[in-house]
Amino acid sequence: MSNTAKFKLSTLAVLAAALMSSVTAAQAAVTVLGWPGGSEETALRAVVDDYNGQANVADADKVELLFFSRDGFYDKLQADMAAGSDAFDLNLLATYAIGRYAPYMEPVDLGPDAVTTFGDSVLKTMQFDGKQYGVPTDLSLHFMYYRKDLVAALMADDAAKAKYAEISEKYLGKKLEPKDPNDWTWDDWAATALYFSKDVNAESPVRYGTVLQMKNLLFNMMVFQSLPRSYGGDWMDASGAITVDSDAYRTGLEMYKMLYDAGASPRDSLSYEYAETNAAFGSGQTATALQWNAAAGELTDPEKSPAVADNVGIVAPPAGPDGRADHIHGLGLGLNKNAKNKEGAIKFLKWMATESAALDYAKNGGSPALAPAVVAKIAAERPDLVQLGQFADAYGYVMTGGTSAKALSVYELQAKEFTGYWSGQQTLDEALARTKAGMEELLK
Amino acid sequence: MINFLRWIVFGIAALALNFPVIVTLITSFKSAKELSTNPGFWINQPTLDNYVSVLQVTDRLNIFGYLGNSLVAALIGTTLALVLAVPAAFAIARGEIGKRLLLPTIVNLRAVPLIIFAIPLYMMFQWLGLLDTQIGLGLILTIVNLPLALVILVNAISELPIELDEAARIDGANTFQILSRVIAPVCRPAIVTSFIFGFITAWNEFLFGLMLTTSKAVPMTVGASFFFAASGGGVQWGLASAVMIVGALPPMLLGLIMYKQISGSMTAGAVKG
Amino acid sequence: MNSIKNLDWKLLNTPLVVFLLLFLGFPVIVNLYYSLSEVSFQTLRAPELTGFGNYLTVLTDPAFWQASWFSLRFGVVTAVAECALGLCLAIFLAPLIEKHSALMAPLMLPLMVAPAMVGLMYRLVLHEFVGPVPYYLYEWFGNSPSFLNAESAFWTLSVVETLQWTPFAFLLFYMAYEAIPDEVRQAAQIDGAGPFQRLFYIDLPLMAPTLIIAAFIRFIDGFRVFDNVYTLTGSGPGGSTTSLPIYIYEAFFKQGAIGKAVAASVVLFLASFSVLFGLNWLSGRRKGATK
Repeated sequence: MSNTAKFKLSTLAVLAAALMSSVTAAQAAVTVLGWPGGSEETALRAVVDDYNGQANVADADKVELLFFSRDGFYDKLQADMAAGSDAFDLNLLATYAIGRYAPYMEPVDLGPDAVTTFGDSVLKTMQFDGKQYGVPTDLSLHFMYYRKDLVAALMADDAAKAKYAEISEKYLGKKLEPKDPNDWTWDDWAATALYFSKDVNAESPVRYGTVLQMKNLLFNMMVFQSLPRSYGGDWMDASGAITVDSDAYRTGLEMYKMLYDAGASPRDSLSYEYAETNAAFGSGQTATALQWNAAAGELTDPEKSPAVADNVGIVAPPAGPDGRADHIHGLGLGLNKNAKNKEGAIKFLKWMATESAALDYAKNGGSPALAPAVVAKIAAERPDLVQLGQFADAYGYVMTGGTSAKALSVYELQAKEFTGYWSGQQTLDEALARTKAGMEELLK
Repeated sequence: MINFLRWIVFGIAALALNFPVIVTLITSFKSAKELSTNPGFWINQPTLDNYVSVLQVTDRLNIFGYLGNSLVAALIGTTLALVLAVPAAFAIARGEIGKRLLLPTIVNLRAVPLIIFAIPLYMMFQWLGLLDTQIGLGLILTIVNLPLALVILVNAISELPIELDEAARIDGANTFQILSRVIAPVCRPAIVTSFIFGFITAWNEFLFGLMLTTSKAVPMTVGASFFFAASGGGVQWGLASAVMIVGALPPMLLGLIMYKQISGSMTAGAVKG
Repeated sequence: MNSIKNLDWKLLNTPLVVFLLLFLGFPVIVNLYYSLSEVSFQTLRAPELTGFGNYLTVLTDPAFWQASWFSLRFGVVTAVAECALGLCLAIFLAPLIEKHSALMAPLMLPLMVAPAMVGLMYRLVLHEFVGPVPYYLYEWFGNSPSFLNAESAFWTLSVVETLQWTPFAFLLFYMAYEAIPDEVRQAAQIDGAGPFQRLFYIDLPLMAPTLIIAAFIRFIDGFRVFDNVYTLTGSGPGGSTTSLPIYIYEAFFKQGAIGKAVAASVVLFLASFSVLFGLNWLSGRRKGATK
């Protein structure tokens, strides 16, 4: 008796809850799920306000924004999309995750404006299987940050040059001379990093020559892989064979380990990612850092980084035998397959691809990569966007397979195996063999 | 003399155990500029800016809404867990019913990462309309809290002398009356302890809050991470610290109110054989 | 009479059982099915039944055993440290806290902060350039060790966990200690027992059940550690700080290997269930023997 009564009670409670929540669900608008917290959010909010203010946008097509947590964002998004959620019409998309989300999304036609605004290479960051899945909003790549004052002092001092040559011969096997960072090869950078490290050179004015992001984290592999890339490395060749065990990857992995073991990077580098790297470089105790372009604002702001802001130099990542390489990926917005208001959503996407909207987005703090003719119109306000566009154009690359459905899993795998090598838990051969086997499984 | 030593030990323990809390508190009063140049405990230019930013951005981040959601969900998750666990603990401890299978099964729910249920629960909640509701989150938190509540309560009831039950039964009380009039009052410290631990656990839960809410029922832990990303992005330490302090205040207040209950009822109800 | 009482006990258990069946019945069935299937996020609604392949994958995965070993070691080390510290504090400070009950508050404070947040804060606290710990170590000793490399991370994480959860053990022990009637201690004193004799022959035996329960809970919590480790070191260099829940979470969400993740959980559940079941059986037999 009481058994069934309890059962009825709990069923009732569940039903009541179900009723309560479904009443509030009906709203007519275009819901956009954006990237929370950073400059991307500020910029998106501003352009959405402008869009909603336009007379020709019907009430039913007005855009509402949704942001959920930044932590676990992609895990949550994946659960939502796989379960067929219609809580948002447009959602955030990233180059390295397009393949993962494409099954739950619909390709879109952005109209003729898109090519003139962004250019083909940037539009490609939002393509998968030859189809356009979204409008690009922000572009990310890496800068080599360095301390202008330190490098200038090194280049002006003969005794320092001698010491530099001695160190480079000991660690790199060849006598090198200090060079302007714009002309750095990876060897020059490594020699500089060693020279400015107290463990290598007791007279160094700062504690470390560089700060490497070596935490077991997929984003750190994106920072790292430009080094092997400039030696000709790639995930796979044209025939689809995995080539991660190439000499290029060996050279890159060994260089990181050599620098870490020599004490050229902080001793806890194996737990460093974006935030730790900024803090290390911003403290004024580190001479160089390979870091995301997004850090430029913070590192050059005297309010936020008083110790270094006036002396931060920014160049593209150093060159290898194959020239320079700079990992690029884009953030953008794409269409959810289960969207409730597809027409309104596509209308907004097309508007986002117009020149005026893209400029609006840039003015409000976003980092879009724009075609040269378009970026010229905002060069005075956002000189950093010019540099961003130039680097992306000249050195930008995406690894073969880097947009596939399993790209994120490949990065995860590399992060685990490569950090295992750097921390001395396995040999280089073991790490590369395991990575290769895993990638063959993932990318078959 | 020994009392003086006790004070010293207490001081060291309080400082050591609270070290991260103290650093967080200090950090929350530092500006970004000061953080990058002064790692020490002394604050050169204390500022309230971090708290102002956390509490003032209510148009885009409804921090009071998050706090409310957390409060409702945590209270559901804690109270319901106790309502279910107290009678069951009595039956397990005294009737030996469920000791073989039910108890180890539920206790095991604490060892297994419950997040593996995220996908089926998501689909079930979608079907029931419980997604993005405080009740839905509260129900999950109940599952999260059950194991600990049950262990503490079974332990507490087993400790009570069986003569207590027998005396009441001779006086004519039935099983349910024994539970409500004798066992439950005597077990108040254990119930209060389970409540506090349960509330703290529920309040601090992150993954289910992330997966099962979108906008209306977002709890504090998930809402707080709007302000920073623990991975793959920048962390604004000052802001993060202020959020942590604000987020820890409600369970702290609860703890302050409840600890009197614990110590008070302990001396009152010391019915030990 | 006995059968009526039996029915009473069953009725008392009913709400709990019904609740669990309602909310975990469906998920458990779905997950068991997933564990026997080839399934990804794309095929959630159409998993392909393949048999015990997922279980084989898990049991032959060295990373699974590495994670189990980390969890086991972490659970034992932190449970022992927390219980030992908590017990010493509870017994030594009891007379002080009896007089000033407000002293309890600062000792409970660490429990109130979300472990994920604590992990995040340690990223700042231990940072070589902006963290107070290395800063003062450099000031006083001119050097600071590596806290989070492959060798030291385990111990750093253990200290982080112990500092936060010692108050949990402390609280339970203090309650158990206070629950011992003063008459018992006084009687022992009159019989000529010194303070240490009273501790070992009166207090500790009477607190034994609580000691066991606290150690057990702390072990489980240490074994299934996730939040603070995940925010502080993630899965660690080469996977060296991957606890079992982190292994399962990453398999589930990062690799999309849902079948593997669920199979690993089932293995964990069965293993811990049989341990608990065995302990129960043993204690039942011992009780039977003493009666």
